[in-house]
Amino acid sequence: MRHFPGNWIQAREIPLHIRDTHPCEVFGVSISQTGLASTAEAASEPAKPPPRRRLHLAGNALWLTVPALLLLLGVVGYPLLTIVLRSFSEPMWGLQNYVWFFGTPVNLVVLQRTFEVSAWVTLACVICAYPYAYMMTAVGPLLRMLLVLCVLVPFWVSGVVRTMAWVILLQDSGVINSALRWAGFGTVRLIRTQQGVVIGMTQVLLPFMILPLYSVMRGIDLRLVQAARSLGARPSRAFLQVYLPLSLPGVYAGAIIVFILALGFYITPALLGGPRSTMLSTLVQNQVLSLLNWGRGGAMGVVLLVATFILLALAAPLMRQRHRQGARR
Amino acid sequence: MLYSRKEFGRSRLVALLGMLAVSMPLATATIAAAQDKPVAGEVKEGSLKGKTLTFVSFGGIYQDGQIAALQEFIDRSGVRLLSDGPTEMAKLQAQVESGNVTWDVVDTADFAPYVHCGKLFQKLDLSKLDTSHIPPGQVGECNVPAMNYGMIIMYNTEKYKDNPPKDWKDFFDTEKFPGVRAIDGSGDPIAGLIEQAFIAAGGDASKMTAADIDKGIAKIRELGPDTIFWKTGAESQQLAEAGEADLIMMWTGRAMTAARNGAKYTPVWKDWLVVMDHLAIPVGARDPDASYALINAYLGRKSQEILTEKTSYSPIHNEAQPKVDETTAAYLTSTPERIRQGYQHNIPFWVQHYAPTVEKWTELMAGN
Repeated sequence: MRHFPGNWIQAREIPLHIRDTHPCEVFGVSISQTGLASTAEAASEPAKPPPRRRLHLAGNALWLTVPALLLLLGVVGYPLLTIVLRSFSEPMWGLQNYVWFFGTPVNLVVLQRTFEVSAWVTLACVICAYPYAYMMTAVGPLLRMLLVLCVLVPFWVSGVVRTMAWVILLQDSGVINSALRWAGFGTVRLIRTQQGVVIGMTQVLLPFMILPLYSVMRGIDLRLVQAARSLGARPSRAFLQVYLPLSLPGVYAGAIIVFILALGFYITPALLGGPRSTMLSTLVQNQVLSLLNWGRGGAMGVVLLVATFILLALAAPLMRQRHRQGARR
Repeated sequence: MLYSRKEFGRSRLVALLGMLAVSMPLATATIAAAQDKPVAGEVKEGSLKGKTLTFVSFGGIYQDGQIAALQEFIDRSGVRLLSDGPTEMAKLQAQVESGNVTWDVVDTADFAPYVHCGKLFQKLDLSKLDTSHIPPGQVGECNVPAMNYGMIIMYNTEKYKDNPPKDWKDFFDTEKFPGVRAIDGSGDPIAGLIEQAFIAAGGDASKMTAADIDKGIAKIRELGPDTIFWKTGAESQQLAEAGEADLIMMWTGRAMTAARNGAKYTPVWKDWLVVMDHLAIPVGARDPDASYALINAYLGRKSQEILTEKTSYSPIHNEAQPKVDETTAAYLTSTPERIRQGYQHNIPFWVQHYAPTVEKWTELMAGN
């Protein structure tokens, strides 16, 4: 069978063919698993990978990605290349910007802090999003619509506005602390602390966790859980051994999106945090906007990018393995 | 051309004036002489017809006020004025490096035109501008002021009652004046604050050396971990209105708005820090003479009155009499009394030590 790239009718079929293959596998999580395809259907079939056909189809489908690729090359690839080049070439060729980065304690402290805060935010997002997304799959259509709206409406509101709302809630004389004082408890320091930043960022990033989770959970056949129950598993065991593994791809997809977005956060840490919650983007901004030092700013960006890649590369095998276990059932 | 002054020799001018004095009323002669030199706020009818200028500033009420102040200039000169923003040195640098400068006049924060003078901003030919009404010491090689404002201490009136803080020494005295401090952490280092901190640490700001910058910053750090570094003017105002800090370093405009909204805080005017925005012309601007014409119109008395009435920033024309209400007037920094109380940091010193100061300031802001 030969597919011609220009043949639209055949091309239109391609997404259906490739959906249980993994051409778009990102860090171990297949996009088709998280959203595009019906996982329930995939789950009802035994995993039968047809490797040769898969390759063939992937090659043919490639032209479908051309618009996105062009856009990415133009607005991400080229600027990124410039940044990398400038980090090595300004003010002269060499490693001076990287020597400076690793020789300045404040940079390392802030880099570490950036990863720490992002990890906390990811964890908080998983904890908040998992039951919520499950609720979305369990309720009737009307209530589900309401729950979806609850996720999406804040998503449409500007991040600055949402962050300012958190200032009002978290500050020492704010709603939360007033309520605590009224109830006879002391004041809890929330704003200008790392906890405050984590709370605010979690709320801003929550939709990015809920939506992938929901699209995976929606595809999980609940009869599998019923089957486990009918075979004598207690609810907790049915959840841990059947439902949870099936939903893990959604957790990974959401966690990766949230973690990566969190690494670059700027406004929320600036407004909700104190000096001890400054994140790397603030330092980059200082180098570029105040000092016009593109070399150092670029080096900071490259370090963050490389560190992110290393971390994801370390996490990827683990995820892939878990994912396979889940798929094997 | 608008400001290509007819190059009279002095003797010829005097002779001409003499002739005029004989044959005409004196008033006419004054006007004839005035046409040679630019007069702040004046522009020749139709002189920029068909031209387009791009004016870059920080947006919001401020830029709206600036455009309102320039409306007469637009109407008279026939220029098409475009607004752009916000001002970012990185963007300007990209324009200058690529040789495609689309900005004609740029409103900048305090340090930029000094630090980037000659590199990103043109050295100004002051004969093309009437700077005679600008407060002393505010014209740089590459810049004229765009407006003035101040950074003042606002203290919690109820907390300090009969024994309020009176100056920056008290601001840095956490024993005599316990309470949470809030400091401007919105971007560039606050040179005036570092100088005041150095003075509070027992130093002499007029003899400051590079090593003394650390002493000043150490004094600020001594204020303790509760110190708030606010990131935006809105945040500082919010701190005052919610009573989140006891001593807040604030921009006068924000202090005024907070007071208007009922914040129970009182300003300290002794040694208020003089701050201003500047106007500058980028290197490689397409039509510098048109840019000069805009700036010269902006410096006019009427323009400055409109600017103050619309924005509550202080005018930089010494005869401006803006019509503002009592609260706004109380926070203007252009009255003779305020001018006497103001504190101007040592601009050349900080420009010389700009890069290391930014590094140290960034460390302070990052909690290290």
